[in-house]
Amino acid sequence: MITKTLSNFVLALIVFIWVVPFVALVSTSLRSETEAKTAGFWTAFTPTELGHRFSTNDKSDGNKVFSIKGNIFERLNKDKNSFLVSGEVKSILIKQRITDPDNSEKTKLVKKLVPAGEVMKVRNGDFVFKGNGDFTWTFSKETSPKPKNLDVFINQNPIFGADAYIEVLFDNKNVPNALISSFIVTIPATIIPITIAAFAAYAFAWMQFPGRDWLFVIVVSLMVVPTQLAFLPILQGFSGIASWATALNQWLTDCEITDSCQVASKSFASLWITHTAFGLPLAIYLLRNYIVGLPKELLQSARIDGASHLQIFTKLIIPLSVPALASFSIFQFLWVWNDLIVALYIGPNNASDLVFPIRLQKQLGTFKDQLHLLNASAVISMIVPVLVFLSMQRYFIRGLLAGSVKGG
Amino acid sequence: MSLTKKYLGVSAFAASFAFAGFAQADVCDTPSKLGDMGSFAGDVITIAGSMEGKDEEMLLNTVNCFEKATGAVIKYSGSRDFAALIVADLRSNNAPNISIFPQPGLAGDMAKEGHLVPLGDELASWMTNNYGAGSSWVDLGTYSNAAGKKDFYGFAYKMDLKSLVWYSPEQFEDNGYEIPTTMEGLIALSDQMVADGNTPWCIGVESGNATGWTATDWMEDLMLRTTSPEKYDMWVSNELPFNSPEVLNAMEVYGQFSRNDDYVAGGASSVATTFFGDAPKGLFSSPASCLMHRQASFIPAFFPKKGEEVANGEADFFYFPPYESANLGNPVLGAGTLWTMTKDSPATRAFFEFMTEASAHEAWMSQGTFLTAHKGADLSAYATPALRKQGEILSNATTFRFDASDLMPGAIGAGAFWSEMTAFANGQDAQTTGDNIQAAWDAIK
Repeated sequence: MITKTLSNFVLALIVFIWVVPFVALVSTSLRSETEAKTAGFWTAFTPTELGHRFSTNDKSDGNKVFSIKGNIFERLNKDKNSFLVSGEVKSILIKQRITDPDNSEKTKLVKKLVPAGEVMKVRNGDFVFKGNGDFTWTFSKETSPKPKNLDVFINQNPIFGADAYIEVLFDNKNVPNALISSFIVTIPATIIPITIAAFAAYAFAWMQFPGRDWLFVIVVSLMVVPTQLAFLPILQGFSGIASWATALNQWLTDCEITDSCQVASKSFASLWITHTAFGLPLAIYLLRNYIVGLPKELLQSARIDGASHLQIFTKLIIPLSVPALASFSIFQFLWVWNDLIVALYIGPNNASDLVFPIRLQKQLGTFKDQLHLLNASAVISMIVPVLVFLSMQRYFIRGLLAGSVKGG
Repeated sequence: MSLTKKYLGVSAFAASFAFAGFAQADVCDTPSKLGDMGSFAGDVITIAGSMEGKDEEMLLNTVNCFEKATGAVIKYSGSRDFAALIVADLRSNNAPNISIFPQPGLAGDMAKEGHLVPLGDELASWMTNNYGAGSSWVDLGTYSNAAGKKDFYGFAYKMDLKSLVWYSPEQFEDNGYEIPTTMEGLIALSDQMVADGNTPWCIGVESGNATGWTATDWMEDLMLRTTSPEKYDMWVSNELPFNSPEVLNAMEVYGQFSRNDDYVAGGASSVATTFFGDAPKGLFSSPASCLMHRQASFIPAFFPKKGEEVANGEADFFYFPPYESANLGNPVLGAGTLWTMTKDSPATRAFFEFMTEASAHEAWMSQGTFLTAHKGADLSAYATPALRKQGEILSNATTFRFDASDLMPGAIGAGAFWSEMTAFANGQDAQTTGDNIQAAWDAIK
């Protein structure tokens, strides 16, 4: 009983730890840019006191007046049509340089937080404001006051808006294009290695040929080759292939030697090949260990009934290995979907073909100033892996055990 | 699938151009007329660089003028990882036509490996005659190849002026501060701010894998203010070692600013972890967390309203002043991006011709965050008076020095100098910092 409570508690803790960043990301993506930068996401759900700067009036129009009336919220929300600030005005920060009372030759800077209702001096006028944002600025004689920016502290209500999502999805086609590109890369880069690996795994598990074990050891040991090590040779290889393909293209289609004939060396196909190559060792290893554990009697009786290797493979092995195949597809899909570095070096680099992780990285801008766009795009990019995982999770759990329990 | 994708991509591209054209009342319509650029219908020019986001948009708008004039198609790919990607691309025969190097050090390395195509003496002599301080710009783009032969490779286009201190005029007015004209005055003002309970400086050197470069800018500006320009040049070529008294002195002066808890918003320990683009936001926060920020001319793009502050008077800059006592004149520090040819083609050659046109400079000037030393460019094309003020300083420059870290070999200027200055920000003493950088330099000699 106690162990059950404990394990539930630990489980709840783990869930909590994983959910917090998600809540942070989603809530930040729904907040205004400036607010998200000034106060943490946990303050987004309750009224929070935040500083703003507002201008007392628009450009001085030269008209002489005795007083100016206005509303702080109206001033703040003037040019906005979303994330409108509302709440209660708490105080205004006022700074003045006065003669130092201790030393009349020096001056002293006085800073004061003036609460609502209290009169303060701003450019020789009396400035007073209410909690609802109404303010009056009165002068003893007619003047045309220069606008003044004041720091105001507002206990503001939570505000959320989907502006970032609208900007990301509809203002330009960058993110939709990236989504499509990512699918173009990910789907073949998952299907191709799993197909090859299934054949190879069957051969390693059930076919007799000389050097089988050594070959298997070599394939498995390839898992330790780091991707980064291979970029330059791979790229050189692709550029060699591309120049051959260009020549072939010219010969076949008789096109003029311009850029229309050029076969790009960094393309979706290069990504498929690279991801296949780097995914294969693990795929073969996982599938072979699963397939080798299938009941030997089943295959032997199929042999006796006269089934060929291909028939055994398609009619028996594939249906029986669905959990292992599915779990590897999830691994490979998530890995390719989230891959940045291979796509950066080897993938197509024209703006419309960038895959999602590169677009995410670019979304931030040279100036790292578009955090709100990054957050919204990150949420969108998460949706696909989450869907894939949820729809296939029962295979995933079974597949995690793939090869660990030997049958037969 | 692929076909649909291609179609989508093309239409997205067209749409983005259409949109840009709509937002910016035709940037190609410049005071100077664009000359005849020839016709290259359908020819593709690929450009790789590190500009992204707003910068990338402005670049596309500008090169679009060339596309319209010649019919060529320009494909730009920008990545913050440019420095790593371009090396892989060049070494694997995947060179773009044009590579835009933010640092001459790396361009020089690539020239040595034989990946850059010389631009020719004609272009070099054009630059000598038509750029302010022209011969030093040519030097900046001149490297030796594997055989040791020196050629002109890098065309400087899009420049930055460093040596600027940004502030909010209204904050200065509220607090009753005056703009200092000497370094002594600047230090006195900083002390005054501290006495008033304000924090004078916002300093941040974090910048991903380039962390530390803002600190090297400070160092260079202070070198120019504490020692002679000749010594500065010797420092760049390492005739004056990094652990020499002159360099250590400049580092100590920088330390007086950046390692002073009273001077820096967030305390000295925050310098190494504050993103350089977030640092200036302190000028505009409510209440302001600092009152001054020393940074190059591009920094308004990082302000909360993306530089609108400069146009509407909320932000302004003053010249980072020299010591009155040192008597070294008014030195100016700057930098520029270098456009190099990495794959030759007639259309690419024509593009370099395009960059000599005043119109090509004015097109970008009108969009903002672009300075040029081109003497023929009409200063009235600058988007804002502030840019014009900086542009005048640049094109009339006589005592002008380039960003030293950009001129040093890549392993130092984009390596040890950055990382050791970050260590310095984290509390390492000046002597050790200087010794370590010098050791790194000795190792590559």
